[in-house]
Amino acid sequence: MWKGGGRMKSECSSVSKLLDKYFDQEVTPEERSLVEGHLPDCSACRMALDSMQNLRILIKNPVEEAVGKENFPWVWEKIEKGIQRKERLGLWDFLKSWLDVTPLLKRKILIPAVAAAVILILITAPLLYKKISSYPVQSVVEYVESETYNVMVYELETPQVTVIWLFEGLEEESSTS
Amino acid sequence: MDVNEAQLISRCQQGDQEALKEIFNQYHQKVFRIAYGVVRQREEALDIAQEVFIKLFRSIHQFQGRSRFYTYLYRMTMNTAIDHTRKMKKAPSLSMDQEEGFQLSDDAERRPDRILDHKELEARVKWAMDQLSPDQKAVLIFREVEGLSYQEIAEATGSSIGTVMSRLHYGRKKVQELLKDYVEGGR
Repeated sequence: MWKGGGRMKSECSSVSKLLDKYFDQEVTPEERSLVEGHLPDCSACRMALDSMQNLRILIKNPVEEAVGKENFPWVWEKIEKGIQRKERLGLWDFLKSWLDVTPLLKRKILIPAVAAAVILILITAPLLYKKISSYPVQSVVEYVESETYNVMVYELETPQVTVIWLFEGLEEESSTS
Repeated sequence: MDVNEAQLISRCQQGDQEALKEIFNQYHQKVFRIAYGVVRQREEALDIAQEVFIKLFRSIHQFQGRSRFYTYLYRMTMNTAIDHTRKMKKAPSLSMDQEEGFQLSDDAERRPDRILDHKELEARVKWAMDQLSPDQKAVLIFREVEGLSYQEIAEATGSSIGTVMSRLHYGRKKVQELLKDYVEGGR
């Protein structure tokens, strides 16, 4: 009895997983045999199938009734008018679609897009600032004095240019010995 | 896809409204059934059906024939219907307390064995279906209303057969639980 009960329980566990498929007629022949062999001995599985059938009736029957009552030709007339209306609005819709950020909001990419733009600006701004800095840094490299000329050599960092200034030397002083 | 349908689609892609009308004649009932299965309300279902065919005419050039046409149309219908219900949810509707569940009228509470008024039962079925996720609802409607096979449902929803079976199983289970007074049979 116990063994029978255990076997039944095990079989019920296997069959219950197939009930949806069986109800939808998607089972293989072997699966069908297994289910149909089990059902006569299992009221729980039979009740489960009955529930599925009752649910299908609840969902489907009102739909069938509604379809049966409906007159569809007038729906086609509305569709035709709708198409003509949409064709007239086509250009306006096109412009609106360019300006409309709602899809971005709906797709939840506006915030990440703004964040990415801010990060990009923070990274590139210092580089741009450095690049467009209008006053090149000057650095005096060398100053050489001689009797005839004084030479000053500038080497600029940006652009990389070497400037050599020649200054005429001071007039000779009359020497007194 | 048969040759006639392929020709119809091709003509429609070139802007031929007569071709769209022929497609409408072939599919309007199916589209209405799916829409009604989702919204359970005649006027809304008709609005959705109208919107679907207008959308179809505008977007049919995107259909490349990689899937069957009717699964393409069914997917469009289901998406349109679900979008419609989302918009309608934002508007005030029936006063149902979703946390506590559907509230029966006093009369029904005094007579639990009474068969509910048709409209009240429909409202309850709609409420129960609305508790499902959009994916579960889509699969349940394709199966129960339209009788699509698992393969066809997989194609229409862009998912695998395993996923279809899982959604169907848990969707049925949830709705059965919510409507247990009306679906539990016994022999």
